This record gives sequence, C-alpha cells and structure tokens, in this order.
Amino acid sequence: MDCKQIAEHDVLDRYLLERLTERDREAFELHYFECGSCFAQLQTLMAVQNELLHSQRSVAKVKGTFLKRILVPAFTIAMFLLVIGTWYSARRRHTGGPVASQAPTTNPTPSSSPNSPSLEQLAKVEPPPYFAVALRSPEDDAHQEFRAAMQFYSQGEYSKAIPGLREAVKSDQQAVSYKFYLGACYLLSGQMDSAVSVFRKTIAMGDPTYSEQAHFYLAKAYLKKQDMTGAERELQASIGFHASKESEANELLRQLRK
Amino acid sequence: MHGVSEMGSLAERIRQGDSAAETELVHQFGQRIFVMIFVRTRDREAARDLVQDVLLAAIIALRKGQLLDQEKLAAFVHGTARNLINNHLRGQAQKPQFEDLREDLAKVDSSNEIEDAERARLVEETLEGMRRQDREILQMTLVEGKKPGEIAASLGLTAEVVRTRKLRASRKIAELLEKKMSRR
Repeated sequence: MDCKQIAEHDVLDRYLLERLTERDREAFELHYFECGSCFAQLQTLMAVQNELLHSQRSVAKVKGTFLKRILVPAFTIAMFLLVIGTWYSARRRHTGGPVASQAPTTNPTPSSSPNSPSLEQLAKVEPPPYFAVALRSPEDDAHQEFRAAMQFYSQGEYSKAIPGLREAVKSDQQAVSYKFYLGACYLLSGQMDSAVSVFRKTIAMGDPTYSEQAHFYLAKAYLKKQDMTGAERELQASIGFHASKESEANELLRQLRK
Repeated sequence: MHGVSEMGSLAERIRQGDSAAETELVHQFGQRIFVMIFVRTRDREAARDLVQDVLLAAIIALRKGQLLDQEKLAAFVHGTARNLINNHLRGQAQKPQFEDLREDLAKVDSSNEIEDAERARLVEETLEGMRRQDREILQMTLVEGKKPGEIAASLGLTAEVVRTRKLRASRKIAELLEKKMSRR
C-alpha cells in the first residue's frame, strides 16, 4: 500500500470508520508507522471526526434538555386539559346540555385501525433531497441541463423537470444521478410505469449509493401500483445495502407486513 | 520520519543500551501506537495504558536484541502493538511484568497528549469557520460513514466533486493546524 493508493481508495476515512478488511487495515497501519505524511493526515482527520462526534452529542444533549424542559410539561398540561374537557362534555351530555343535542358522529373509516396505516399512506413519497451547488469547474451541456431541470425539482414542479432531465440523461448516459432524479420525478408526478423503468436502469448501473435509494423509491412506486410483492422485494434489496435508507425501509417493511 | 536504515540504526542503538535512542523510539512510535489502539478499541483510557505496555515490551525486546532484522523495526513495533491489543480485546491482558516506563520517556508520551488536546481545540476553531457545506461533507464522511456517491446524491454534486471538496477541506484544516501549532 502506498500514499497514492491510500488517497485514491479513501483509506483514511475507511480506517477511521473501521471499514477496512483486516488485511488492508494491517497494511495501512504498517504504512503509517513509517510514513509521516499519511500519519499527519490521519491525525487531522481523527481530530475532525472526534470534534464532529462531540458537537453531534452536544446537539443531541440540547435536544434532550429541550424535550425534558419544554415538551414534557407541555404534554402533561395538554393531557390534563383533555381529561377536563372530556369530563366536562360527558357531564353536559349526561345533564342534557347543548352537547347532547348534537347529531351523533359517525366513524368515517371503520376498516382502518389507527395502528395500521393504509396502503396510500405507506406509498406516500418524500422527494429525495437535492441541494443545488455551483461548481467551480466548467460544466458540460448535460450538467447544465440537469441543473436547470433541478430548479423545477427544487420548486416541487416535478413534471416540468422531466424534459430537461431526459435530455441530460440522453447527453450523459453514465451519470447515475441524472437517471435517479428522472425516476424520482416520474414517481412524484404519478407516472409509475416510467418511474419503475428508470429506477431499474439506475440500479443496473451498479452504483451502490444510488442503487440503495433507487430500490427504496422503486418500492414506493410498486406500493402506488398496489404491487405488494414487488414493494417488499425492493425494500429488502434496499435494506441489504445497510446504508442511509436502511431504517426507513425496515420500518416501511414492518408496517407493510402488519 | 526515519528511513529504513535509520530504523535499523535506532534498533541497534537500543540494543547497545543507548537511552537517547529509546526516547527517539517513543517519539517515533508513541502517537502511532496510540492511534492504532484507539481506532481498534475506541477506548481512550485503554489506549493510553496499552501504549505504555507496547513501548515497554518493544524496548525490552530490543535491548535483548530480539529483533533479528533490524530494518523491520516499524513492523516489529506494529506487531507488538497488535499482539497486546488482541490480548486486551480477548480480556486476557497479561500485563507484562516490566518496570514502569522511565520518567523521561513518560514525559515524552504525555507531551503528546497535550499536543492532542491542543489539536482538538484548534480543529474546533477551524471547523466553526468553515463553509457549511464543507463541514456537512466531513460530517457525512467521518461520522455518518457515507460514501462520496451517497453524499453527492444528497447534495446534488458528483462523487468526484465531493472527494475533491473533502480533500480540500481536510488539507485546509491540516495547513491551519500546522501553522497554528508551529506558532505556539
């Protein structure tokens, strides 16, 4: 292992995240035992990682304090008011007051219990996040098309984003992100068959990051099409990547199997 | 950093009983051993203790001339560290019955700790002054463990741009650290 390989294969990050194989870890350690430059970089990244973890914990602590100090008392007060209100309305009904004279209410959805969400609820899609960033290097035509289309995307105008994204995909067949967001736009504008087809192409490109997400959104497309088997299969595939969508996909799968 | 032949000479000097060479060995490997143990155990206290054990074990073995190929000093120290970490992780830490680390060597070791604390403070300062998105990239990489492709998808960049910006951000931190540390 040499300095070039270390830089090219993100070895420093993977080492700190304990994602190297035993063999690579040994090789990297042996390297930095002798290489001053790589060790200095490792020390810097380790200090950055510690600091970021520390600040993350501080934020969590502040949030925890907020929950304890504000939300818990607020919830207690709300519960108290609810109990008083229920007692008061029951008393009025019992004594023949105005509440008792109202027409009886009906249960609008007798079939759905509050604990089991409907298929429609499960199929609900949050758009995949996208943040526009100005690149310092000159853009090619495909990327310009993509950025222009994604302006519509950012405004929630998914149908309007589709033509530009299709052009971008046509100009650069290798850009996985263009295909992925095109699939997302089809999904978000209700064109399920196209969404399924484009997400499948995204997955076929073999980029694990996009594949994981594409499987997840493909599951959503199947849910919209009421194809439960397809949705389950895609959720399991997404979970298999053990990446950013893992917990969301697990939860969705759990609810689907209720 | 010592070259290979310098490593051999360092090992030889320790074998001959040169105490300055032992100090050099601690300077050379103390921090590296600490990082290695910390990454493998995530236990700062255990790492501090084990660094001492590893250095002692290595020095004693070198004094006895147990390193046959002196050019492989780094590999020897690394191997010693690995064995002691494995013992520690197996819960069978058979602490070597050595004397304590010599006082002057222990001082070298604790000066490394002071340097660590200083580095942490400077990193905090530097991160605060950094562009939000660069900090986000570092957070996603080093804390959330996301790959450049994943970060690129959520930030609307390409994986290559994420790599470049991450590299640029960490280099910037390293440069600022070097500048600030050298001023102190």
